[in-house]
Amino acid sequence: MSDTTPTLASGQAQRPRAQLVATGFACAATSMMMAGALGFYMARRHASGPHPGHDWLDGLAVPNPQFDYALLTLVASMVTAHWALWASRRRDTAHAWTAIATTLILGLGFINMVMYSLNRMGLEIGAGEYQNLAFATTGLALAVVVIGLLYLGLMGLRSLGGSVGQQGSTAFGAAVFFWDFAALVWAVTWYTVYVVK
Amino acid sequence: MSENTTASTSPGVPVEDPTPFGWLTTADHKRTGRLFIICSLLFLVLGAVFDLLVRLDLTSATDFVSLGADSFAQGFAFSREALTLLFLIPVFLGLSMYMVPLQIGASNLAFPRAATASFWTWQISAIVLIGAYLGNGGPYGGWANGVDLHLLALSGLVVALLLGAISVATTIMTMRSPGLYMDETPPFTWSSLVSASMLIVSLPVLLGQIAILYIDHRYGRVFLLGNYGIWERIDWIHRTPQLFIYVVPVLGVAAEVVLAAARRRVFEPLAMYFTIGLVGLFGFGAWTNFAITGEGADIIDGFEGVVLVALYGGALLGTVGLLGLLGLAVIQNRKLPKLSTSLVAVFGAGTLVLVGAFVGLLGAAGDWLEIAGRGNDGNPQLRMTTWVTGQQSVLIYGAGLLGLLAALHWWAPKIWGRQLNELLGLLNFLVIGAGALLAFIGPTLSGLLTEQPDFVYADPSATAIYSGWVDDSGAAGLSSIGAAGVAILIAGVALLLLNLFVSVGLKKGAQATDDPWGAQSPEWMLPSPPPMGEPEELPMLTSGTPLLDSAEAEAEAEEVPV
Repeated sequence: MSDTTPTLASGQAQRPRAQLVATGFACAATSMMMAGALGFYMARRHASGPHPGHDWLDGLAVPNPQFDYALLTLVASMVTAHWALWASRRRDTAHAWTAIATTLILGLGFINMVMYSLNRMGLEIGAGEYQNLAFATTGLALAVVVIGLLYLGLMGLRSLGGSVGQQGSTAFGAAVFFWDFAALVWAVTWYTVYVVK
Repeated sequence: MSENTTASTSPGVPVEDPTPFGWLTTADHKRTGRLFIICSLLFLVLGAVFDLLVRLDLTSATDFVSLGADSFAQGFAFSREALTLLFLIPVFLGLSMYMVPLQIGASNLAFPRAATASFWTWQISAIVLIGAYLGNGGPYGGWANGVDLHLLALSGLVVALLLGAISVATTIMTMRSPGLYMDETPPFTWSSLVSASMLIVSLPVLLGQIAILYIDHRYGRVFLLGNYGIWERIDWIHRTPQLFIYVVPVLGVAAEVVLAAARRRVFEPLAMYFTIGLVGLFGFGAWTNFAITGEGADIIDGFEGVVLVALYGGALLGTVGLLGLLGLAVIQNRKLPKLSTSLVAVFGAGTLVLVGAFVGLLGAAGDWLEIAGRGNDGNPQLRMTTWVTGQQSVLIYGAGLLGLLAALHWWAPKIWGRQLNELLGLLNFLVIGAGALLAFIGPTLSGLLTEQPDFVYADPSATAIYSGWVDDSGAAGLSSIGAAGVAILIAGVALLLLNLFVSVGLKKGAQATDDPWGAQSPEWMLPSPPPMGEPEELPMLTSGTPLLDSAEAEAEAEEVPV
C-alpha cells in the first residue's frame, strides 16, 4: 500500500445500515417474486375465461369474514411491531418484550386463521386450475409472512439480548420493515386471489 | 494457488483457516470469489459440450446425430441453463465478490457468510440439477420426480444467486470508504451494482413462476400439458433482453482496462455510469415469457413489438455511448495504448455486446414491422427461430467469455499473485473470438434465411427434431458452421484453463508487483495478492482513481519551477 495514502483501522469504514439496505433489496426481490406469481395467476385466469357458464372457482366459496379477520390480525401485529421498535429505541425493555411477544402471538394467530379459512373453503391441491394457482400464490405469500415472523423474532431477541439501543434498534428496525412488507404482500395476494379472484 | 497467508491480528477480525476445511467455512470474500470463478469455468465446459452435441444434432433436420431422440430436448435445455445459471451469472458475481471490497476500500463483503452460503447453495443446487437431468428429469424428462427435482434445483440456484447479488449490492451501497461517493466508484464496481440490482429485480420473477409450475406439475398437471409447458415459461432467463443484464459487468471490465491503458480519466464520469446503467435497465426481460407462451398475448399485443424495439434500442444506445466515451479517452491520450490480452479482449467483448444489441434491434424491428412477411401467413417471427441462438452465442460466448478472459488476465495479479501468460492469452483471444463469431453467424443466418425454428417452438414429441419444417434451404450447412464454432470455443476454454493451470497452479507465471499495469483504481494500491482474511488497515479513499491522482500530483510538482 502506498505510504502516502491515509488509512483507516479495519472495520471503521463500515456503516451501520447494511442490514436495513439488504432488507430493502430482499423486499424488492420478494415483490418481484410475488409479481411473477400473481402475473402468472392473472394471465392464466385471463386465458381461461370468462365465458358463459365458466366458473373459475369451481364452485368454491371464499369465507370472506375469516379472511378479513386474518388481515385485521396482521394489521394489529404491525402496530405492535412498531410499538416494540419504539420501546427498544428507548431502552424500555419491559414494553419491548411485551410488544414483541404480542406481535409473535398475533402473527401465529394470523397463520392459524388463514389455514382455517383455506380448510373451510375446501381448497384442495390438484383439484383444478384455480385451486393449484391459489395454493401456489397463497403458499408463497404465507412463506413470506413466516420468514418475516422468524426474522422479527430473531432480531427482537438479539435486540433485547444485549444490543438494545440505536445499533440494535437498526437491526430490529429492518425486521419490522420486512414485517410491514410481508403484511403488504399478504394484502395484495388476498385481494388478487380471494377478492378479485 | 499462491496465497499470502499472513493473518490479520486486529481485534475482532476473524482469522482465516488455511486448511481445506477453511474453504468450506470461509468468511473471506476473496476465497468465495475464487470458488465461484473456478467452479463456473468448469461448468462452462460442461454447458459448452452439451451445446456442441445439440448443435451437431441440428446439422440434420431429420436424423439425430449425437444425442438421440430421447435426450435431445433435455440436452438443449441443460446447455442453456448451464451457460447462464452455472456460468455467466455466477462467474461475474464471483469476480464482483472478489474485487468490489478491494475497489471501495471495504474490509470484506457486507455479509461474508451469506456470500459463502450463496456459493454452497449454488454448488449443491447445480449438482442436484445435473442429477435431475441424469435421472431423465428436467424439462421434457420422462421421470416425473426428476422434473420436479429440476424445478427445485432451479429455485435453489436462483435463491443462491440472489443471496450473492444482495451481498454485493449491499456492500457497494453501505461499505464504501468514507469520502468515496457513488459517482466516484470505479466502473467495475458500478457495473457490479447495476448488474446485481437488476438480478435482484428480475430473477425472483422466475422463482414465482417456478412455484406455480412445481405445484401444477406435481399435483394434477391441470394446465401444463405433461411437462412440455415448463420450458417455454422459464426460457426467458436465457434469452435477450435478459442476457444484457448478465453481461453488464463486462462493460465495467472494459472501462477499467481501456482507461488504465489510455492513462486517462473518462471524459464525463456521470455519462459513463449512465450508459452502463442504461444497458442494465433495458435488459429487464422478465415479462417476455408472456410473449413466448401466448398467455396474456392479447393483452400485450400491439405494444410488445415496440417495447422490444425500445429495449434493444436502449441497450444499443448505452453500449455505443460507453464505447464512444472510452474511445474518446484513448484519442485524448494521442498515442496508441500498449497491446495486451486484456485490451484486445475487452475490445472484442465490447464490440460483440454492440453486435448483440444491434442484431436484437434488427430482429425486433423486423418482427414488429413484419419485414419480409414475417409474422404473417404462418411465417415465424425471427424471435421464434435460431436467430435467438445467434444472439445467445454472441452475448454468452462472445461478450461474456471474452470479457472474462480480459478480466482474468487483468486481475490475475490481484487474485492469484501471478500474471497469466500473455502469448497464450493472445492466442486464446483469437480462438475464443473466432469460435464465438462462427457460433453466432451459423444460427443467425439459419434463422434469417431458412426459418429454422428455435427448439422451444418445435414439437418435442416428434420423432424428428422438427415437425412441420423442412430444411430445403441449407440450414444443415449453417448449423454445421455454428457447431464448428462451439467446438473451437471449447478448445479456447481449454486453453484458458491450461493458462491458469500453468501460470497459477504450477506458478510459472511472473510474480506480480502491486500495480503491474499502471492502473488507476484502488485495488492496485494493495499487495498482489492481498493477504488472506480482513486487512489490518484500510485505505481512506476520496476518489476511484487514487493512483492516477498521485501520478498527476507528482507530475504537477515536477513542473513547478524551484
